Amino acid sequence: MSGVAPALGAPPPSDAGGAGGAGGAGGEPRDPAHRARPATRLDRLRARRGWRTLLGSVVPVSWAVTLLLVPYVLLLAQSFWRLRDGVITHELTTENYRRLFGTPLYPATILYSAGVALRVTVISLALSYPLAYVLAFKVRRHRTLMYMAVIIPLWVSYLVRAYAWKIILGQDGILNGLLLSVGLIRAPLTVLLYSTAAVVVALTHIYTPFTLMPIYAVLDAIPVSLREASQDLYAGRWRTWLHVTLPLSLPGVVAGCTFAFVLSMGDFLAPQLLGGNDSALMVSNLVWSLFGVAFNWPLGAAVSVVMLALTLALLAVAGAVEARGRYGQVATGAVAEYAGPI
Amino acid sequence: MAASSFTPILTPRGATSRARRAALGHPARAGAVAGVVIVGALGLSGCGGSGAGGRVSGGPRTPVAAITITRTGDARADATSYLRQLCPKPIGGTLNFMVWEGYTDTLFAAPFERACGVKINATYMGSSDDLVAKLRAGGAQTIDLISPSSDAITEIIQAGLAAPLDTARIPSFGTLMPGFRALPVARRGGRVYGEPWAYGPNPLIFDSATVLPRPTSWAVLWDPRYRGKVSVQDDIATLYMVAQYLGLDDPRDPSKLYNLSDADLARVKTKALELRPQVRKYWQTAGDLTQLFESKEVELGEGWPLMTHQLRLASYPAAEVIPREGTTAWADHWVLTTGAQNLDAAYAWLEYAAQPFTQKLLADVTGYIVADPAARSYMTPAQAAGQHDIAEYGAHVNFWQWGNRRDKYQEIWNAVKAAR
Repeated sequence: MSGVAPALGAPPPSDAGGAGGAGGAGGEPRDPAHRARPATRLDRLRARRGWRTLLGSVVPVSWAVTLLLVPYVLLLAQSFWRLRDGVITHELTTENYRRLFGTPLYPATILYSAGVALRVTVISLALSYPLAYVLAFKVRRHRTLMYMAVIIPLWVSYLVRAYAWKIILGQDGILNGLLLSVGLIRAPLTVLLYSTAAVVVALTHIYTPFTLMPIYAVLDAIPVSLREASQDLYAGRWRTWLHVTLPLSLPGVVAGCTFAFVLSMGDFLAPQLLGGNDSALMVSNLVWSLFGVAFNWPLGAAVSVVMLALTLALLAVAGAVEARGRYGQVATGAVAEYAGPI
Repeated sequence: MAASSFTPILTPRGATSRARRAALGHPARAGAVAGVVIVGALGLSGCGGSGAGGRVSGGPRTPVAAITITRTGDARADATSYLRQLCPKPIGGTLNFMVWEGYTDTLFAAPFERACGVKINATYMGSSDDLVAKLRAGGAQTIDLISPSSDAITEIIQAGLAAPLDTARIPSFGTLMPGFRALPVARRGGRVYGEPWAYGPNPLIFDSATVLPRPTSWAVLWDPRYRGKVSVQDDIATLYMVAQYLGLDDPRDPSKLYNLSDADLARVKTKALELRPQVRKYWQTAGDLTQLFESKEVELGEGWPLMTHQLRLASYPAAEVIPREGTTAWADHWVLTTGAQNLDAAYAWLEYAAQPFTQKLLADVTGYIVADPAARSYMTPAQAAGQHDIAEYGAHVNFWQWGNRRDKYQEIWNAVKAAR
């Protein structure tokens, strides 16, 4: 940007702000006459555009600072305060973190939540990849309709969907009734509801659209010519999928899996509504109780900070995987890569 | 609608429950005897006078004429004629409430609003902790009246969020249940902070058709016959129950239950872990538990009289008992916050809340045991049978208190839930 200013000769005073916005125009050839006349209309226009850019960046920056940075810093600070006789005192201590890692409850609950989230992610992926594939490549008519059919549950309240699973999975429920009537079981299955299985089923139902959408978007963007080229080179369907489609769709898979994992790991309603005597507590329920009935905000903040760190680490790994080599190329970018050797 | 056949004494009552249910909701017969009742020695009929602006007017008021009404036996009609005298002129202004659901029900709040010209804004609280957190966060400046349970009230008084009551301005205060008024939780330094409103125990609720014989001890929850058929509250209240079963509740020192030592808590935790395979689901709301019963998921558990009441209305054969080890209970008071502005309206409400007809209407809405024994005169025998004096329970119930180790209790409860 500073490279632009000398080219303009005598920059107007406001140009410091304007340079930011004018940066993109730096490479354009300029009328030499402009050098002699400082602060032309064009300069003023450019300066104004710069101010607009600056103003435009104020909003997102202040948004990020007030709604992201400040709360996270406060959360971090809170996690180092001490709780003394039910009152939070502002003296620094690492006690909360020592208690967090020293009491089996907290690491065990984080691990359990991760286990649930992993199961949800695997099942969501197994369901949504084939579905996205069919939607992207096989369906010609009614594609939008089918896509909407998958997405529409997103508009239904979470609670309604969770309660629907109670009706389906209960001992007196639809599924048990069906199994009993066809004679597959003699007594209602209790494992269906109020169990880890019920939590996984509900979370999978709720978060599968989040996995489907990025995978579908990536698959849909793969040019037909690439797959046709693969088949022209005598690769079968399977080989084409393995060597062309799959690598190109990996960014979508990683994005989708990250959504499913992070969202289901942070869920607290499904375990509360559908969990039983061994599955009613995930890490967010812990945070909830620490900030609520236990009134131990510092420890709750410490658990939150650990969760935030884990999530950020996961996002970093996912980002790295997405950015790695050719898998990092979005489908259109990959065209060039594949077109190169031809 | 009453808590109906809830009795502290362990008598079989499944046989009578149907008859009692049939009688629910019928107009009072007991109160049919009309009579002139002096509702209070000091009337509040002048409350609209000096407080027209609805602003602070501290200090005890001079005694005014006593409010007397001719009782008709119909609670609603009596409330209306009483309010006409309580507020001869509209007081005006607003009252902001933060209460348990049902405590500002239109059944009795709307006549007050109309007669006294006071606009009531009510927010419901989700839990005692919810209320404490909101008051701590500055809510005491915007909320006038609250209805904390016996655990939160101590914390609220200690934190300086509650204003002491000028009982001279609540002439009917003395007519409320003596045992309820004597609860230490609403007092501090010789001052009274709470007006008794309603209370209830946390009984053992069971399906009288399948849980036989009728249980008399919490031990039934651990009975292998009911494996996977039990539901207890997803709350540290369940730890209180387990501690009572283990005999850790000292009748001479009720506060011990809420401040157990580490060694005692370790025993409670072990016993609670033994209960885990018995539990189908830990319930969160009243609706959770009734739904668990109705969908045949559970047959017994710890709950509130409200749920027994609701289950019976749904024709479910629910019964309840106070086990011999005792149980915990909650007692709700009206408390004035330090930031309360419209004191004339607030005291008018407090006086109105202490009337037998108001209390009868409260019982209709909630099914709870109300603080004024005279409310029974408006009830059917069935509804009145559900009302009990605190003294009847004796050492069988221990009213919730605010322990200093709540987070420790909570951690143990979470550990019980996390066990796999």
